[in-house]
Order: sequence, then C-alpha cells, then structure tokens
Amino acid sequence: MRLEIGNFYTKDILFGNKTEYRNGVLTINKAEALGVVNKDDHIKEADIIIAKPGDEVRIVPVKEAVEARCKISGASIFPGVTGELTEAGTGRTHALKGASILVVGKHWGGFQDGLVDMSGPGALYSHFSKLLNICLVADTDEDFEAREQQKKNHVLRWAGMRLAEYIGKTLLNMDPEELEIYEMHPVTKRQMEVQKLPGVIYVMQLQSQMEASGYNALVYGWDSNKMLPTFMHPNEVLDGAIVSGSFMPSSSKFSTYDHVNNPTIKRLYREHGKTINFLGVIVTNLNVNLEQKTRSALVVARIAKSLGADGAIVAEEGYGNPDTDFIDCIVKLEDLGIKVVGITNECTGRDGSSQSLMTLHEKADAVVSTGNVSELIKLPPMKTIIGEIGALARDGLSGGWEGCVNPDGSLIMENNAMFCGDGISGFSIKTVVEY
Amino acid sequence: MKKAVLYINQFFGQIGGEDKADCKTIIREGLVGPALLLQQHLRDTEITHTIICGDNYISSNENEALSLILEFLKDKKTDIFFAGPAFNAGRYGVACGLVCKRVNENLGISAVTSMNEENPGVELFRKYVYILKGGRSAADMRNNIKKMAELGTKLISGVKLDSAEKEGYFGRGLRHQIFTDPPVLSADRAVDMLISKLYGMSFRTELPISKVEMIPIAPAIKDMSKATVALITSGGIVPADNPDHIQSASATKWGKYNISGMDSLHSGDFKTIHAGYDPAAANEDPNRVLPLDVMRKYEKEGRIGRLYDYYYATVGTGTTQGEAARMGREIAQDLLTAGVNAAIVTST
Repeated sequence: MRLEIGNFYTKDILFGNKTEYRNGVLTINKAEALGVVNKDDHIKEADIIIAKPGDEVRIVPVKEAVEARCKISGASIFPGVTGELTEAGTGRTHALKGASILVVGKHWGGFQDGLVDMSGPGALYSHFSKLLNICLVADTDEDFEAREQQKKNHVLRWAGMRLAEYIGKTLLNMDPEELEIYEMHPVTKRQMEVQKLPGVIYVMQLQSQMEASGYNALVYGWDSNKMLPTFMHPNEVLDGAIVSGSFMPSSSKFSTYDHVNNPTIKRLYREHGKTINFLGVIVTNLNVNLEQKTRSALVVARIAKSLGADGAIVAEEGYGNPDTDFIDCIVKLEDLGIKVVGITNECTGRDGSSQSLMTLHEKADAVVSTGNVSELIKLPPMKTIIGEIGALARDGLSGGWEGCVNPDGSLIMENNAMFCGDGISGFSIKTVVEY
Repeated sequence: MKKAVLYINQFFGQIGGEDKADCKTIIREGLVGPALLLQQHLRDTEITHTIICGDNYISSNENEALSLILEFLKDKKTDIFFAGPAFNAGRYGVACGLVCKRVNENLGISAVTSMNEENPGVELFRKYVYILKGGRSAADMRNNIKKMAELGTKLISGVKLDSAEKEGYFGRGLRHQIFTDPPVLSADRAVDMLISKLYGMSFRTELPISKVEMIPIAPAIKDMSKATVALITSGGIVPADNPDHIQSASATKWGKYNISGMDSLHSGDFKTIHAGYDPAAANEDPNRVLPLDVMRKYEKEGRIGRLYDYYYATVGTGTTQGEAARMGREIAQDLLTAGVNAAIVTST
C-alpha cells in the first residue's frame, strides 16, 4: 500500500475574495467558507477567526481539531463519515501543514472540551499552540445537550470536517512543497533483511466508553464501541480512516488532526527496515464492560502474535476506567512473549500522591508517561478570548470548576482541560517524575 | 542570617555509646559533633542549637522527647531543621525521621535528614520527610552532611526542588508532570524504549511499577470442626482505652486482646481508632468489624473447633507495606506458637 502526502507549509492565513493557497499564504473567502459551514441547518451562528502562535489569545471550549486536506482522486478525506466509504491510505493526499481547523463552541462547552492558549505559559501544554489555527466558532440548535455535561458535538464536529475539506480542496491542483511517501509491503511479502528485524505492532486503544451512539471514535464511520480489534495498515490511519470522538477529558484525547499526523506511526515508519519491521496497526477500543475489555485484549494479543510481532506499543486514549484495558492488553501481549511499551498519562491527584493508574501490573515495565491529568495550572488573563471563557467554569469541562476563572480572566484549571495536552498520540513533551 | 537546628543521637552527641542510649533529651547551644561539619557547608545560615537524645530514650518516651523538642523550638524562628545523618543505624534513623516529621507537621519548619536505603526509617518516614540517600556508615559523614546542607539551603531559599532522583532524596510518592528538557516527543521516547527493550539494552520506564510480592495461600483445612480459629483485624477495633496506643493511621503497632468468655464485643468496651473510615457503625456495634458474635455462634454450632482466646488488631490506613508485612509476620508467629490453625482477617 502506497500513500503520498503532499505537504503545503502555511506561513500565514488571511481573509480575502478568493479561497486559495499561494506562496505559503492561505486566503479564505469567509462568506463562502461560512456557507459550507451553514449547509447544516442546525448551525445557528458561526464565525471564523484566525489565531496565530504568539497571539495573546485563549481558545475555549475547543471540541475538535482537523487538518485541511484533499484526496487527488476526489474521494472523501474521512471516508464513511463525510463522504462515500472508500479505502483510505492509498493514492495521493494534499495537506495544509502548520495549520489546523479548531472547532470551538461559541457558548457551550462540555466534559470533553478543552483549552488552547496561543502564547504565555499555557502555550507550552498543547501542540496546537504552535499552529495557525482557523477557529470555527459556532453555536447550534442542539438544545437537548446544550446544558448537558456530555455532548456529542455532532453538528460542530461535522462542520469542522466540512470546512477542512473545503479549505483542503484549494490544494487540489497544486504542486506540494514536499512529498512524503508511506509505502509498506504486505507483512509476508517483505524483503529478507526486513523480515529478520523484530516485528513491531502499534496498538491504538480508541475512546469508546459510551454505550449511546454519537460519542465514540469512529473507524471508517463505524462506532469503535461496536467492533472487535482489527488490523489496519498505518496508511489508513494517516489518511482519515479514524475520526475522533466526543468523550473523555480533553488532555487524554486524540483529535482527528492527531490521527492523520500520528507521530508514533511516523516514527515507527522511519525505523522500518532499519531497526524494526513495522507490521502495522491494531485498532481496538476501551469499552466499559469487563467481558468486552477481556475480549478486546485477547483479540489484540492474538492478532499481534499471529502477525509475528516481537514488540508492541500500546497507546490508551483515556484514563481511569480504560486503565484496566491498557494494563490487561499489555499483560496479555507480554504473556505471549511480545515486548511492550505503553503510552499513557497518569492521574496522581493534585498533590501527586494517588496511584498513577486505576490498576497496575509488574509486567507493564516499560511505560512512557505523558502527564498528570490532575496537575493544577495557573494561567494569566489573555487579551482575547475565542469562544467563551465562562464555559470552562460553568459547563463541566473536566479540569474546570465553578469559580476557576477569575473576574480579570486569569484562571486555575486542571491539566485535564488542556486540549489534547497529554499527547498520547505521541505529541507530548511532558513526563511525570516523583518528588 | 537564617537559623538551623541539628538533631543527633547520644553517640554523635559525644555522650556515649550503647550504654548511654537511655540518655534524655539535651539541648545544647551551638555546635556539637556533626554540627561543626554541617556549619562549614552552610552559608548565611547559623546552627543555633544541637539537640541530643538517646536512641532508646526517644523510642520508649516518644511523647516526652517530642514535646520537649517542639516546645523548645516553638519561639526560636528556626528556618531549617536537620537530623542525622543516621547511615544504617536503625533506631537512630527512626528517631531522625520521627523528629523531622513532627517538627515539620507541628511547626511548619522544613526538615532534612539522611539515611542509608536499608535503614527502616526510610520506609517509615520517606512520605513525610526529605530523607537524602546516605551511606551505610559514618565513613560517609562528610559527603552525607554536604548533601544535607545543599538540600537545606535550597529549602530555605524557597527554590522549587527538582525530582527526588535529581535531588538525591528518597521519593515521597508524589508524582507530578514536568516538561522534558530538551523536549522529546512521547512518540520518540516510546519507540526508543521499545527498540532498547527489543534489543536487550537497558531502558527506564517513566512509570515505575513495583513488583508485588505474591504470598501463597495456605492449604485448606480439611476439618474445620476441629480447628482453632483466630480473629485478626486491620479495622482498628481495640479496648476502649487503646491500651497499646496503636496509631490511628500509619500504624507500627499491633495489639493482642483477651476475648475468652465474651459472647460479643460491647459498644463502649470496644471501639475503632482507625482514622480512615467513618467510625459510627463500628462504634455502635464493634462486631461489625470484628465478628466475635458470629464466631461464637459457629463455635456453639460446632462449625469451628474453637475460637482462640485472643484477637489481634492494628490499623490499616496509611500503613506502609513494609510495616504491615512485619506486623503480619509477628502475629503469624504468635499464632503458630499458640497452635492456632486458621485466622480470619477483617478490614473495615
């Protein structure tokens, strides 16, 4: 399977008469772009605001991040979600780099939403602070969940994907500045030198804790709660097969942007043929029922073993209840003789004294820790707020609470609310140490 | 000029050896023994007093020794409290840990001590006190004192401490996030760690998980109707006056209490001293935690041979694994000596 990703490195984003990308500058016709957003009648009001690194800007409640892309074939960039169900991971995709579309609630936030600061101390916590962010700030008529802590954010998240497709299409007939080639032969048809290297599998435990539909991560449009673990080519993940869900405290999440830019997959690709034989990805879930947990862990371990894996990286999109899946999966892989490294964050409490994960096992002897969800973070006021700062304190954002935002706009929050801040996908530059 | 105080035992206080271990608390103005060396490493800080106390004295007269020290320090405006170094001297280490903990808790004074990893004081007090990793014997005095001075100076100045590993003290079990410096993506850290693991090279997990010691379960008793059964609880049920002064949290003591001739535990005669749960239900009916009433019923019905005449109690909140294991071994030995065949352990 061969995927070409043509990269266009954005230096600036402006509004203008025509939506186009030229010499590193993206111009957006705002009215036309909002027309795409407003195709859904459930959008009540919408605006697009650009936030740049270094701006004194705070963005909250952030619901999702998407990279603007197009498929040269004309296929959908999120097959089975925004368009026809076709295979992701082949052919050529053009991508707008250095930028993301941030989906922001105009008023209402929820448990799963987060915060991005574009400068100051808060900017250290999110990789989105380093990007040019096209903020889609909107409100919807989804009154049934406006005041619910758990939100599907369906209308806004889908609007974000439409906007990503609309902007991505400007790259369709252009020559990329860089072409990345992702090509890997079928597992049993690789050169001898590659076959001799230790086989490595990447296990993605997608967030799937909600029994009701509309909240969980989607695999080709399919609710990850309702699936058994499945083997995928890494190209599929890098090309839009997985769309982020709308559940789990924000810092623990993989946004849709994170999936198509997954740094762990990219690094494993770079090692392929040198130090490892990268076998591929096993996509699995984090269901709450014990039998479902056990079943998924068993199936993951058996797929990995059957593929000849010697090593595995297991990444957990969540914490708390899903820690059981994380540990169980690691133990079952290790029991089959597969050496595992886990990637997770910890929940050690504000004072740092609580047990790191809900459950521990001595076989989980190699873990990369990406943050403490309950760490308290104080942030100074920002000149400009995109969205509504009150949402952090009012709407049950994990990491926010009533009174956490001061009248001058300064605030105190838990790391939980840092948008994708714990970089389980591979973006985190944080770790956890003992004091 | 900042003010410091050093606590040492009778030996380092130049009172005498083991024969003087009963020496009562003495407070000397100025520098005694290791205080001279410590003072050399302190800048802008003066050691105003050296406190000397016999290792045996403080262990059997904890309250008297501590009240005297706390009372003395109350108005001295001490900025930093040092104790030791205690090396691998067990009683000395426990005393250093205890004094540092109480000085810090009661007076809010930062406290630093130093011990060898094998010193029992480490496991007992590492959660509460900065205990630097020290040598096994007084041959390491210079080096250990220097480290105490360095950490003490940092604590006085109020600079944020680095991780336990970097500072050289035993981790206090407090895990906090930091930014890697230079920044390294979690993706790269994970792949590098996996390559090391796959190629048999050394690697270091970022989330250490200690090995759980699995204790095999004793073989089943075939005929319970002939067995002598004992009751043990970590739920803190003791005679109302708590005669053994078992601590309400982080217990290091256990008690053994006669229940022969009693059909049940009466409220008022027995109570819980466990600080980790709401005591109302247990105090209203202590049998809820230590089921003497039910055991007597079983005894009468012949379902068990006999209930042992004593029950055992300690408190299981905040109690270290090391202390729990020690108490467990001691109680088990006592049960074996008494010919007890089985035990029922209740918690809270």
